[in-house]
Amino acid sequence: MKVAKFKKISPGYLFLLPFALGFLAFGIYPIINTFVLSFTDTTIMGGDGKFIGLANFTRLFADRVFPRAVGNTWLMWILIIIPQIGFALLLAALFTNARLNIKAVGLWRAVFYLPNLLMPAAIAALFSTLFGLYGPVNQFMVRAGFLSEAMRYMEDIGITRALVIFITWWIWFGQTMIIVMAGMTSIPLQLYEAAMVDGANAWQMFTRITLPLLKPILAFIFVTAMVGGMQMFDVPFLLTDGRGSPQNSIQTSMMLMYIKYNSPKGHIGAASAVGVVVFIMTAIVAVGIFYFLGDREKNVMKSTQKSLINQKAERPQS
Amino acid sequence: MISTYKLGTWISRFFVYLLLVILLLIVIVPVWLLLVNGTRSTAEINQGLALLPSTHMAENYNLLLAKGLNLPQGLRNSLFLAASSTFISVYFAFVTAYGLVVYSFRGRKQISNFIVVLTMIPMQLTILGFYKFMANLGWTDTYYPLLIPLIANAGGTFFARQYLEAMVLHDLIDAARIDGAGELRIFHSVMMPLAVPGMITLGIFSFVGSWNNFFTPFIILSTRSKFTLPMLVQLMRGDAYRTEYGAIYLGLGLSLIPIILVYIFASRYIISGIAMGAIKE
Repeated sequence: MKVAKFKKISPGYLFLLPFALGFLAFGIYPIINTFVLSFTDTTIMGGDGKFIGLANFTRLFADRVFPRAVGNTWLMWILIIIPQIGFALLLAALFTNARLNIKAVGLWRAVFYLPNLLMPAAIAALFSTLFGLYGPVNQFMVRAGFLSEAMRYMEDIGITRALVIFITWWIWFGQTMIIVMAGMTSIPLQLYEAAMVDGANAWQMFTRITLPLLKPILAFIFVTAMVGGMQMFDVPFLLTDGRGSPQNSIQTSMMLMYIKYNSPKGHIGAASAVGVVVFIMTAIVAVGIFYFLGDREKNVMKSTQKSLINQKAERPQS
Repeated sequence: MISTYKLGTWISRFFVYLLLVILLLIVIVPVWLLLVNGTRSTAEINQGLALLPSTHMAENYNLLLAKGLNLPQGLRNSLFLAASSTFISVYFAFVTAYGLVVYSFRGRKQISNFIVVLTMIPMQLTILGFYKFMANLGWTDTYYPLLIPLIANAGGTFFARQYLEAMVLHDLIDAARIDGAGELRIFHSVMMPLAVPGMITLGIFSFVGSWNNFFTPFIILSTRSKFTLPMLVQLMRGDAYRTEYGAIYLGLGLSLIPIILVYIFASRYIISGIAMGAIKE
């Protein structure tokens, strides 16, 4: 669609101008600035620090605190993403199953999505209170006879981590389900009809048609969840003391960055180094996920059409 | 043969509904406990669980304020920020998307793809570069750092582009051009009225996003009277409230209720919007 030629510069560029300026100032510049700061000994009070080369990074990798925080983040993220995608696939498959014909799908979906809108800080504080020494969970466990005396849940590494995982799953499973469902409903029904004619069962249809065609969507979910997961902060920060207790077992990379920033001197340089390393790691893993699961720009319909064509081509032989 | 098939369907249906009910309880019970406990006195809460509200809400509220937590102020701050964020995000997302959808120029496709990539950059990891930049501008402890960057909101722009691409605008725009309308005027008086449903959807997401945002305000703001609700939640975790459970629950509940109300009235917009942001049609 050609635009009138009365101006040399397309008005399209003018509409993009605010975004471009905003992005340069508040997107690109902070990234560059963080990288620059990571090579300095800048503190909050001390103004601009001096260049100290890779000292922040060598100190970071010499300290076992940093690998532990990165490890905690990855461990918790992996244990979140498995049930998150698992439940999303299961629920989406059940809701779109014609034979089961589940009633009031819209209502179930709406309820399961609700946690995604609630303030993560408040939810973390809520669970911290629910699982407190005098909290309702202890009251219930003791009165029902499951425990002989109240338990300090937040002093148990396994339970605390499990709570971070559960809360984050609770916040995200409904949102993931809706995205997966939208992907499933855009798969043409003819594919399933053809498979049924060929005698495929429900499981074969799921693994041979649904899953391959969902690959672009799953890649999108994996990458956004991973980028979000590497920045995990609110829930583990507010669940216990803000430093990742018990024994730093829920201290994430972002929390470590905050702790360095919030130290008495405010080591912005050292904290930036944490941000830089995690930023690069996240970017590499994101590219890796896209590389293995197919890129995002390939949309569902296109790959569906392709597989339809392939299917037609393969038909005569089978 | 047919009856065993039917029986099988009924049995699987039973287990599916059982699973759905269990998940429903997992979602609802924590929120319900929170809201109910906000109306119960600390003594009642210590006596045991209850699923029905009590009568101590006003008492809890006064207790909350008496300990120095300015909840009405926090509510006002959060409302102001969420409303301004919504306005800036929605307006500029549609401005940018309009430029990408309506005009053809060199690099249009590349810019569109680039914006998709931008939605996946972990920006919170660059908060310190951002903080230092804001400090140099003298903008720390103000609301500017929470609002101005929303001009370049990649996620919102992506959504707006999806939305505008699905609308057929070109004929209308050509007609308006023949009538002599300028490009900006066409954007404001032809496109915007037609895009209202999309703007509402994006607006709800922007509002909720700002309302729930904890990390950026936590880094940027330092004066108590400027604190937002999530920051007050963090303060409530402090020692003054350690044993005042009723007040804590009420404070947490008040920060959730506005969003729950929005959701009850607008869930349809919201759910259709999530799928739209994720799938290219």
